[in-house]
Order: sequence, then structure tokens, then C-alpha cells
Amino acid sequence: MSVQSPAPQKKPWFLALLSALDGIFVYLTAGISTGEFRAMLRGDAPGRPNTRLTPHADAFLLHIKPSYYHESVTRFTHTFRLGLLSTYLFLFETITGIILMIWYAPSPERAYVDMIRLLSNVPFGQLMRDLHRIGAELMVGIVTLHMVRTYLTGSYKPPREFTWLTGVLLLVMTLFLSFSGYLLPWDQLAFWAVTIGTSMAEAVPPAFVGEIINLLARGAPDIGANGLLRFYLLHVLFLPLLLILFFFVHYYKVVLYGISLPAQEEEVGEDTANRVPANRRVYYLPEVLLDEGTFLLAVTAIITAVTVFLFQAPLEHIANPQQTPFHTVAPWYFYWLQGLLKIADKLWAGVIIPGVLLVMLMAIPYLDRNPSRRGADRRVATISGIVAGVLMIILSWMGTPAYAVQGAPALEVVEKLMPEEKVGISRKIGYNHIPFGTYDTREPITTDDAEFAKLLHEFVHLLEVWEEKAPDFNDPWGLLTVTQDQANLKHLRWEITWLSNEGTEEYFKQDYWLHKDSYYWEQYGRKKFGVPEFLEMQNGG
Amino acid sequence: MRSLYVRSFGSKLIWGLVSSFVIVVCVGLTAQTEDTRMEIQTKNWEGRGIENGAVIFANNCATCHGQQGQGLQGIAPALNSRYFFTRRLEDVGQDGVMTLSNYVYLTVAAGRPSKDNSQWVNRMVPWSSQFGGPLRGDQVVDVVAYVMNFEETALQQTASEDPFQPFLDVSKPPEFQNIGISADAEWTPVQLAVTSVLPMGDRDPDYLFGALACSGCHDLNEPQAPSSMGESGPNFGTIHELGTYRPEAAADPAAYIKESIMSPDAFRVADYDDAMPDDFANRMTEEEIDRLVQWLLDPDRVTHARDAEGNIIEE
Ligand code: HEM
Repeated sequence: MSVQSPAPQKKPWFLALLSALDGIFVYLTAGISTGEFRAMLRGDAPGRPNTRLTPHADAFLLHIKPSYYHESVTRFTHTFRLGLLSTYLFLFETITGIILMIWYAPSPERAYVDMIRLLSNVPFGQLMRDLHRIGAELMVGIVTLHMVRTYLTGSYKPPREFTWLTGVLLLVMTLFLSFSGYLLPWDQLAFWAVTIGTSMAEAVPPAFVGEIINLLARGAPDIGANGLLRFYLLHVLFLPLLLILFFFVHYYKVVLYGISLPAQEEEVGEDTANRVPANRRVYYLPEVLLDEGTFLLAVTAIITAVTVFLFQAPLEHIANPQQTPFHTVAPWYFYWLQGLLKIADKLWAGVIIPGVLLVMLMAIPYLDRNPSRRGADRRVATISGIVAGVLMIILSWMGTPAYAVQGAPALEVVEKLMPEEKVGISRKIGYNHIPFGTYDTREPITTDDAEFAKLLHEFVHLLEVWEEKAPDFNDPWGLLTVTQDQANLKHLRWEITWLSNEGTEEYFKQDYWLHKDSYYWEQYGRKKFGVPEFLEMQNGG
Repeated sequence: MRSLYVRSFGSKLIWGLVSSFVIVVCVGLTAQTEDTRMEIQTKNWEGRGIENGAVIFANNCATCHGQQGQGLQGIAPALNSRYFFTRRLEDVGQDGVMTLSNYVYLTVAAGRPSKDNSQWVNRMVPWSSQFGGPLRGDQVVDVVAYVMNFEETALQQTASEDPFQPFLDVSKPPEFQNIGISADAEWTPVQLAVTSVLPMGDRDPDYLFGALACSGCHDLNEPQAPSSMGESGPNFGTIHELGTYRPEAAADPAAYIKESIMSPDAFRVADYDDAMPDDFANRMTEEEIDRLVQWLLDPDRVTHARDAEGNIIEE
């Protein structure tokens, strides 16, 4: 890089200072002078020769970016900036993730305790955790949408087949990255989701291979200290490095071929993305940079606002290998797999179908021989894409506990009123609204507390619902006994009695305790700012 | 250039400014409330730890120590006890050495290996998996939190409300002024034996079952199955069908049970380390034993709630 202005003789000192400052500016921006910078801000067209291109040649980070784009592809609605957003979210996750690593040790003795410590002892700790969690889930969604976009615009067609293929690999890595992070809090949610997930690997034939894969992933027959360490290393080291590598392969191809134009703008079979007429060029500096920068700022603002006001990363009870939760659920992006598992065995649902799907996804550019990227010529591709999407959604729905899973009716009733994890109605109305006493569903509800009355009505209602729904659940009645075993601790005993079809009396009992201070944050949509206890404490009450 | 799609610099500036403002406000709001949030979260997780502890206590400790920590004569000492929270540490010589919470932690985790000749029927085993017990480290921490949470109610007890029983392992009679027991109260092992408050002769079977600590080892509700005889002694949940699963009892279940109470060695079905005391014949009248047997054989037997004097509490 060179400073071009030849130093004039006998300059006043302030002009000399200005030109020295200008030199520093040029140095830092890798080639943009202050005058040029002001011209950019004014929106002036670049001069000739175009000094705005210098940074693309001289600066490492900018040499990766094209120096100008075709005007048509810079419109938001062409790419929705989804690829950029995927990249950004990866960066976002890296930063928040490294901050979280400061307070986290990947061992069963520490992991969960570290989570609690992070939440209760680290300023901004909860914010960081929530941001990292929401970013991870968002990234899965955005990468998928990015794939849908490139599919619908036919951008996988020649010469971009390989771009698509590396993209599919990136999607797989994103999913695994998210999933490997899922285990790290070491709570029931994490432990059992990952137990189910890794158990699918077991189905790989022949049996001994499946066993070995499972052993390698879990580090032992069951997930424990070794498995946690392995998932941790995958999550913070191996998968990110792999993803970075493949990202650069992917992005190199994107720049090499240019972003595909809207199909209407070129002849069928042609690819003119890289031949941008001079009058349709939009330079990266400053237009596209500003565009991308403001877009990412806006997204960051939305993520932050949603996190602060609405989102709450879950933390259930500590992982307990001895206690299978009432419903084990995969993370939402694997619901479809869980759905498949309900209608097919492990070999088909866990290995063959996902494997075939993955290969087919990668092979799309080679299977689809239609040269046209125009929507009108691609009815079959578009419709099959939509059908596949709808199938995925249906399968995902089948993967939720709403479909074809039913616990014992009595268990289902109590689980609604006071679930083993999460909030439920009882914890939502809270300690103060659950008065001591014995409440029988066969007797009229006489409590003065309106919220508690609602809970009891729901108890009665649920018993009726299940009596109708379940064949072997006749004349059920319930008892809720609230007693005090200790100061600030209420003991809720739920008892349900019913008649089986043979007329024998059946009985179910579940004990839960509720402490005055347990706050069950999940219950608050607006995480904290609207909560009365919170405001009271904040005001020194 | 007009035809080119380039949003105006001004609109980008506004987007950027608004977004930055939103971020600053959100982070600022968070910063402002962090102290309160952390305080609430700390209490929240302490509360949830106690909730977890209550479940663990109910499943593992309550049969001997009682869910309300009231203890059980001859089986396990009271924990919801003023004595326990004010004097116990001193009496075991640990005052100033460790906190009561650590003392409880050690006891739960490692059990009581040293006290051989103890006043309790069973010794407390180590609970932590570290010492071969069934609980993970975090579960020990939670159950200790539950025990320590008795403090508030225990400190409100008057001397007569304290379910405390004198400990044999205290070498000299402690000065009980602070809990209302005089220093010259009788202090002999006789007092420590498992006894009932009510006089011998006319006691109800359901009272005897608790007062003589049968309930410490025999669960009245759990059924007996080959796979689960019972933790410390056979379960009595299905004892009214005893004849169907215990051939020796088929002819006369009542006689079988009576014989088992009077001389626990009479029939051996599982190895319980001779845990059952063999002096029940001296501590109940024959009539009381007969009624106890009939009560056990009754599938609809009732157990009354009773106060410290053994009187039935009317609901
Ligand atoms: C971590 C995941 C990914 C990252 C970071 C990423 C990044 C990018 C970026 C920055 C672009 C530039 C254009 C745009 O913004 O649309 C791009 C283009 C592209 N991506 Fe990705 N991508 C990822 C995953 C995928 C996936 C899953 C696919 C498809 C299976 C895919 C296929 C493509 C294709 C075909 C293009 C070229 C689009 C065109 O020329 O119009 N990418 N990618």
C-alpha cells in the first residue's frame, strides 16, 4: 500500500497533521482516503481509477468478498441474506460460546452445578446462555431456510452443484453442532434426548458396527463422564473447525461463480452471474457493506430483544440415568426422526431413511437435469420440494408427544397439573396460592382463592376428559392434600382412584414439594420485568 | 445510477441507529436488574434443591427419620429438633470444628461406621456413591439442604415439643437448660430403650406398630414380591394373603405371625442380619400381641394419627 499524495513543500503545521492523519486512515482502511470516505458517505459514484477496490486487494478479510455485486442479487428478496445470516450466527455462537466456556467444565459432577452457578452468580450469565441457546436454534432454522431459498431459485444447477453439496454438509454439521451442545447442561432434557439420539446409531448394521459406533459416541455403554467429554470436544472443537473449513470451501465457490441472478434475467441454460455490466454494478464498499451491516445489526437487535423479554433457555432437573422422564423428546429439529421412529423400527427410521434422504439431498443437482431455473419450467421440482417440506412437518408433528404416546391416564392428569419438569398449572399459580388442606374432586369446590379454584376445576375437568378418553379409567376421583413438612415448603400429594374394567379399584399417588423461593422462571413470558416479586426486590422491598 | 437498487444512506443510517438503540436499551435494562435477578436465581435454585431433597428424603430417609424429621424411637434420631440444631454439634465434639451442615453432610455421605454399640436398631449406612451408597453427590447435597431446612421450625420448638431422644453416644449428660431439660434428669440407658408412652396392657395395635418401631423396618403399604421382599424387613402390604405366598403360614397365618413376633428366629425367609429385636414378648402383653396379629391380617386396617402422648388426633 502506498500513500500517493506527494508531500508539498512548506505546508502549515495543521495541514501536515491532517495529511499525517489521512495517512493513518488510509493505512487502517487498507486504501481508502478520508476524502474518498466522505465521497462514499455522500453517495458519490466511485472515481476512476476506483480506489474503493484497493481494500479488496490489500486486506485479508475483504479479499474474500467480491468487490461488486450484480444489482439484482443485492435486493433483499432475492437471497433474503440467509447465507450471510448463517455465517453471522456461526460467529455469534462462537463468541457467546467462548464466553460460556469460562464458567463451564464438562464433567457430570460440575456441568449442571456450573449451569446453576452461571445463572445465579454471573452477571449477564443468563443473558449469555439464553443468547447462545436462541442463536443455536435460530441457526438451524436459518441454514434450512437458506437451503430452501437456493432450492427454489434453482441455484444448485450447473455450475453450482458443488456449492450445493458442500452446503448439505454444512447443514449436517450445523445439526450436529446444535445437537452436541444439547447435552452439555447435563439436565434430564439433555441426557435423555441424547440417549435416544445415540441409540439410533446402534441400529447401524451389522450389529457389531452399530455397537462400536454407539460406544465411540457415548464413550461407554451409557452416556456418562466420557460421553459428556466427547460431546463437549465435538461441540467446541471438532465440529466448529470442520464447519469453518467447509464454509470456506462453500463460500469460495459462491464467490467464484457469483450469486445466481434471478432466473428471468438470463437465458435458460446460461450463467451470466459473473458478467456484470458496468452500469449494474453495486460496489461492496460502501453500499453492500452498509446493507449487510445494518441488516445484521437489526437481526442482533431482534435476537437481543426477544432473548431479554421472551426467551428462556430451559434447565430441567439434573441428569438422572435411573429415571426416565415421563416424555423424552428430541430437540425440535429432530422431531421428524422421532416421528419416523414411531412408525418404523430403528434400522429404517434411524439409519436407512435418513441416510437415503441425505444422499438424495446431496444428489439433487445431479438428479435434476432440467436446465431451466425459471419457476414456470420447474413445476415438478417445486411441487416435490413443497411435498417434502409438508411431509417433514407432518413427521415432526408425529414426533411430538401429542401423537400416539399416552401415559397412564392418572399420570397424564397429574402431569398436566404438576409435571415432573417444567411449570404446569400448580407451580404457575405459585406457593402462595396453594392453601393447606385436603381437596376432594367429588366435593364442591369451596376455596376463596380464585386461582386455586381454577386449578381444582382443572383437576375435575381432566379426570372427566380422561374418563371419556381412556377405556380402563372408570369413575375416577382425585384427592389433593397440601401439607407442610418444613418451613417454606409445601407438600402436595396427588391421589387418584378409579375402577378398572374388571371393577377393581386402582390407585395412583404422586408427591411433589414446592418451595416458596423456587421461581420457575419459565412461567413468565416477559421473563422478569413484569414479575411483582421481582419489582418489589428491585425497589428494595 | 438512479436505476440501481441502492437504499439511501439515510435509511440505512436510521436502521442502524434504531437497532443499536434497541440493543443498548435491552442490555441496559438487563444490567440494571442483574443484581436482583441473581439474588432471585440464587434463592430459586436453593429452593429447588430443597424440593429435590424432600423427594430423596421421602424415598430414603423418612421411614426411619420421619418425613417431618420427628425421628422414630429406637430407629433413628429426630432431625426436626431444637436439640439437634442447638446442641448436637457440641455434644459430638465438633463445635467450632465444622458447621452443622457439614456434619450432616458427612453423616449422610459416609454413614456412621464407628458407632458399634448403638442405641438404634440399624446403623445408618453410607448414602453417597462415593462410599458405596445409592445416592449421587448432588443428591446428597440436596438432601442435606432439606435436613438443614428443618432449622426454622426446630428453633421454634419448646422443650416438650422437641421430639428429641437422648443420645447414648454423649458421654456425659448434657446441660439441657437451653432446651428446657434439667441437668439432673435421669440419664441411663434404660431410658433409651424402645418404649412406648402409654402403659402396657391396653394399647391399640396401630399404636404399637409405630411406638415399638416395627414401622421402622416393615412397610405397611408395599406389597411383598419375590423380587422385593422389603428393604430392612419384609413388607406387610400383602400380609393378609400371607398364606398364599408363604407355605409355612398357609395352615394358620395368625399363629405364624405371632410366633415370628415372639421369637424372630423361628422362621427365616431372608437374611436381615438378625435386625429384629427378640424381646417383644416382654414388651407387649399376649393380648396385645394377638390384637396386633389380627390387625396386621386385616386388609382394611387403619392407622390413626396420634400426638406425642399417643392419643388419637381427631380429624
Ligand atoms: C452453515 C451453513 C451455511 C453457510 C454459512 C452458508 C453460507 C452461504 C453464503 C454466505 C452464501 C452467499 C449467498 C447467500 O447469502 O444466499 C451461500 C450461497 C449458497 N449456499 Fe450456502 N451456506 C450454508 C449452508 C448451505 C446449505 C445447507 C445449502 C444447500 C444444501 C447451501 C447452498 C448454497 C448455494 C447453492 C449457494 C449459492 C446461491 C446462489 O448462487 O444463488 N448452503 N451460502
